Amino acid sequence: MSKESLEAKESLEATVDPALVRKWIEEIGSDSSAAVPLLQAIQREYRYLPRPAMDLVVNQTDITASQLFGVATFYAQFRLKPVGRHLIKVCHGTACHVSGADRVDTALHQILGITDPGEDTASNGSYTVEKVACIGCCSLAPVMLVGDEAVPHLKGADAQRFLQKHARKNQELLPGERKEAGEAIQ
Amino acid sequence: MSSSGKGMTITVGEGSCGIAAGAREIRELLVQRFPEAEFRTVSCLGMCHQEPMVEIANSDGKSYLWGQVNKKNLPKIVRFHRGETEIPEKNFIRSSEQPATDKAQYLQRQHRIALRNVGHLDPTSLDQARARGGYSAITRILQGGMSPEDVIEQAKISNLRGRGGAGFPTATKWGFARGAPGYPKYLICNGDEGDPGAFMDRSLLEGDPHTVLEGMLIAAYAIGASKGYAYIRAEYPLAVDYFGRALVAARQAGLLGDNILGSGFSFDIKIKEGAGAFVCGEETALMASIEGQRGMPRIRPPFPAIEGLFGKPTIINNVETLANLAWIINNGGAAYAAIGTEKSKGTKVFALAGAVARGGLVEVPMGMTVRQVIYDIGGGSASGRPLKGVQLGGPSGGCIPEALFDTLIEYEAINATGAIMGSGGMVVLDSKSCMVDIARYFLEFTQLESCGKCTFCRLGTLRMKELLNKICAGEGTMADIEALERLAPQVKEASLCGLGQTAPNPVLTTLKYFRDEYIAHVEEKRCPGGVCKALITHAIDQSVCTGCSICERYCPVNCITGEKQKGHTWVIDQSVCINCGMCAEVCNPEAVKVQ
Repeated sequence: MSKESLEAKESLEATVDPALVRKWIEEIGSDSSAAVPLLQAIQREYRYLPRPAMDLVVNQTDITASQLFGVATFYAQFRLKPVGRHLIKVCHGTACHVSGADRVDTALHQILGITDPGEDTASNGSYTVEKVACIGCCSLAPVMLVGDEAVPHLKGADAQRFLQKHARKNQELLPGERKEAGEAIQ
Repeated sequence: MSSSGKGMTITVGEGSCGIAAGAREIRELLVQRFPEAEFRTVSCLGMCHQEPMVEIANSDGKSYLWGQVNKKNLPKIVRFHRGETEIPEKNFIRSSEQPATDKAQYLQRQHRIALRNVGHLDPTSLDQARARGGYSAITRILQGGMSPEDVIEQAKISNLRGRGGAGFPTATKWGFARGAPGYPKYLICNGDEGDPGAFMDRSLLEGDPHTVLEGMLIAAYAIGASKGYAYIRAEYPLAVDYFGRALVAARQAGLLGDNILGSGFSFDIKIKEGAGAFVCGEETALMASIEGQRGMPRIRPPFPAIEGLFGKPTIINNVETLANLAWIINNGGAAYAAIGTEKSKGTKVFALAGAVARGGLVEVPMGMTVRQVIYDIGGGSASGRPLKGVQLGGPSGGCIPEALFDTLIEYEAINATGAIMGSGGMVVLDSKSCMVDIARYFLEFTQLESCGKCTFCRLGTLRMKELLNKICAGEGTMADIEALERLAPQVKEASLCGLGQTAPNPVLTTLKYFRDEYIAHVEEKRCPGGVCKALITHAIDQSVCTGCSICERYCPVNCITGEKQKGHTWVIDQSVCINCGMCAEVCNPEAVKVQ
């Protein structure tokens, strides 16, 4: 097990490189219509919106703090909290909803040991579970995305098994994993 | 037959669905088996239920389409192509030799105009797009001397109506912008497909970006726009990627940019990635989003055609609308108008999903019945359980019952049921769905997605959601149902944009057609679909249980106990059980019963 995977979530905070932010501003623009693409560029790099990066945008463009924060909190794509080392998106589109997306969610939260309803990241910073509206693969419902990989036709138990394999491959620990469940995978 | 694959052409469907189902892995395996074959990558053919799909053409030209290919059944298919075994029927869909199977009905009953190229070409290849007639319509317009008025006239004859949901006549909208003063004019392609359960725009952008691009050129020429935006959901990375490549290729070929095809007409397109807000499907909210603001709608008039993006005349057309345009120019508006019913012309693409046997993308002529789509194309119920309804139009639409499956697919007939055509989501529901839960699900969605500008949309949807939560929790009263009925028309009337105006539709239609389910929840404290957690219990039928203990392993709250291998000892502790249903899902002999 790598040491990194045992580190606490605090280490997920990104260190912002001001030169990068300046580069994006040069490429994308500094008028108010650049707000959304700038935030997208920041999030593409850091996977969330670190406060220092947003401050740099406000200081170096015509975009006001209220506009930037307003936009960041309006759109579902943006997140202000750091994300775990791996991001899981559970589709909650109509087809997924009627075929059991809720069970996938319950199963993932259980195996990741996430019990606080306001929390979406495992305590060891390994995985973050997000609900998304629809990823448009309705015939494969219920679906989740782990990183870029779509995992189709999931039962709750399948989601857990997939995550156990994924965790082994990526040397992560699953805080909520039960030993018996681990044995059953083989 | 060559065992190395020499002379063979292998085509693998690699749209988002195909990739999710494992198409890339299958292609790698096929490359190992047939290293000398020519490999082609195409987008999704729309038969999502058959993914991953592979078409293999032998060196003698005979070609076979295979579905649901996986690591296990691939060797059989490989052996068949080496001439070693009989045809593996299970995966066989159709071929150039044998009569088509029942599965191929799925394609044969369709009428593909917007989707005409999807699944037949490599979306990253401009050459392949041109080989299938791409850019012939814009060439005809620019070099054949068609004026913008001529183009609008053809659109008018075709009677094409906006496919984004509202069904407003495209030519009329264009006419407003054409006549409006102001420079520059903008054309926006609305690819912010936010409805859960709809993926036709994704498939078009991913599978045939050049047709959408050509549609944008035609629309821009008609209204006199010089700048365009393609607003595409960021959740569709493949669509953004392929459309971006299409822009680069078209620019290099002189089909986009300054002085297109030497005609003096100039138009260029920028991609804007939508950041995930359902309300941005609304025109004025979408424009606010491009301007860098929160996506909040504003009062119309002024309409965008007169005063839109950055205060200039702007037309916003849906992806599917645009995908029809080149066909209309090439074949004439009259040919398009010859398809369909009196008021709804042409075809409509639906995303068929849910409890249906064959789900995927379906393009049908207007005037077909809902039943024909679900049964003839979709193959009916996937589980064998009876179907009880279909949800049309996503969060703005409604549920219609099985008794109304003979409704014609046209704007007026569908609106008369209380549902809407919408962008074309069609989610089929069987007896294991709870209609109150469906209504609650959509209300939760619209309530979260409400931008908050109008009080009735912001708070009215919240109150409606609370009432539905109460009913689903078994705490509802008949007065709550009446309160829902009182509140729904108020939310509709007091909201500025389509989101609030249509948000109550799922509730109103389920109340209209499935009132008995609401009453069962309220009066009998019973959920007929077996979905609402507060109203169901999970119990083990000990006469069926084998004592395998798998349910115990997956129970998240440790409430199942018993002795291994002794079925008659297993029980669920009802005081702890959260009715998540994971035990029922994993139980092989189906000993876990939901009551």
